[in-house]
Amino acid sequence: MALVDPEFTEELERFGVDTTLECFNCGTCAAICPLIYEHFPRKMIRYAQLGAKDRILENSDDLWRCLHCGLCTHTCPREANPGELILGLRRFVIANWRGTANV
Amino acid sequence: MYKPRHIIDLIADNVRKTRNPFGASNSTINKWWKDTPIQREGDAMLFTGLMYQLVPYIEKSTRYLERYEDSYLANYVRFGKYMPKFLVGLAVRFLASKEDKQKFNGMLHSIVKILTKSSVDFYYRQELDYYSGILLYDLGDIDGFTNHARFVASTLKENGVKKLVTVDPHTTYALKVLYPKYTGESFEVKTYFELVNFKGGNGTKQVTLHDPCFYGRYLELSDVPVKVLENLGIECLTVRNSGQFTSCCGGPAESISPKLAKEIGDRRIKDLQATGAPIVAMCPICMANLRKGGVEAEDLSTLIARCA
Repeated sequence: MALVDPEFTEELERFGVDTTLECFNCGTCAAICPLIYEHFPRKMIRYAQLGAKDRILENSDDLWRCLHCGLCTHTCPREANPGELILGLRRFVIANWRGTANV
Repeated sequence: MYKPRHIIDLIADNVRKTRNPFGASNSTINKWWKDTPIQREGDAMLFTGLMYQLVPYIEKSTRYLERYEDSYLANYVRFGKYMPKFLVGLAVRFLASKEDKQKFNGMLHSIVKILTKSSVDFYYRQELDYYSGILLYDLGDIDGFTNHARFVASTLKENGVKKLVTVDPHTTYALKVLYPKYTGESFEVKTYFELVNFKGGNGTKQVTLHDPCFYGRYLELSDVPVKVLENLGIECLTVRNSGQFTSCCGGPAESISPKLAKEIGDRRIKDLQATGAPIVAMCPICMANLRKGGVEAEDLSTLIARCA
């Protein structure tokens, strides 16, 4: 079971992400992503929207499969910037590793 | 797949200590200018960001990483100081073959030839030519990137640098878009191919141009090289997925998962080979990843220089 944190989208703003709630989960990003891998990045975006931090941290290695190629951001119908959101989640995870997340 | 944390810590530590991702000194890696007389004063500084120079090292070290990926040895990357000598410190200088170094340095020589032929008033000062830090940005180490970028930007400013001529998409993106945002310093940034102003030809009629993500999407510069080549009598054949919808070469995954990089690269190679014309790349990372998939692409700089 994952804990949900509705404040998480605000926390993510510190990591350069201000479009977390724009996503309506259509899946265009997952369809166009060259990784073709388990609903990436859609699933991560869903976790971010729910504030399921544990899930993000447990599956954090997956974030680094992203090539930062920008195709998802370019094709997102909601301009929710999925590629930048993944980059922001990497920053969030690194800050957790380094113990600087709440500074 | 390697543990991202180990790779990031290793690279961040190297950049902190030596200002480049490999932990060898910049003067060891950056030697191309020794063979070419270039003035040290002028209007715009040629800023290579060391990417072309680093490719022979990247190729070799990722080949090692590929060998050990998914094996128990992968875990030893975290003990960077002892185990993967291929990634750290002095050992790096023996990694890259002389032939490879000459090949990639040759691309920078081509760029000098192109700028000279185009009468660009440019200069080079190797002591100011730094790695941009872009890999740290891409990996999400925003603090590491910002610290390094501030150092580079302030060094350039202190030395009166205002205009930069860049040679690869990643450094161009860093200097043009990220530096103003994260360091507060702005430069006038142009890529070398935006400055080509001659016509001519060398007998090449058609090529297949692979657009890198950063020129195609992030910087929207794809039309420029196509136009330059058109002026040189060279037609760029249509590739499935190009310009703003170009497909990634897979290269960016190389430090975390060489296997993934190869998988994505192989798919892109199929698209490129479908045209039947020789393949041309314009990013050293793309170039290296295509090469791993068995494609010897020509660099855009070499192709243009052959017309100069």
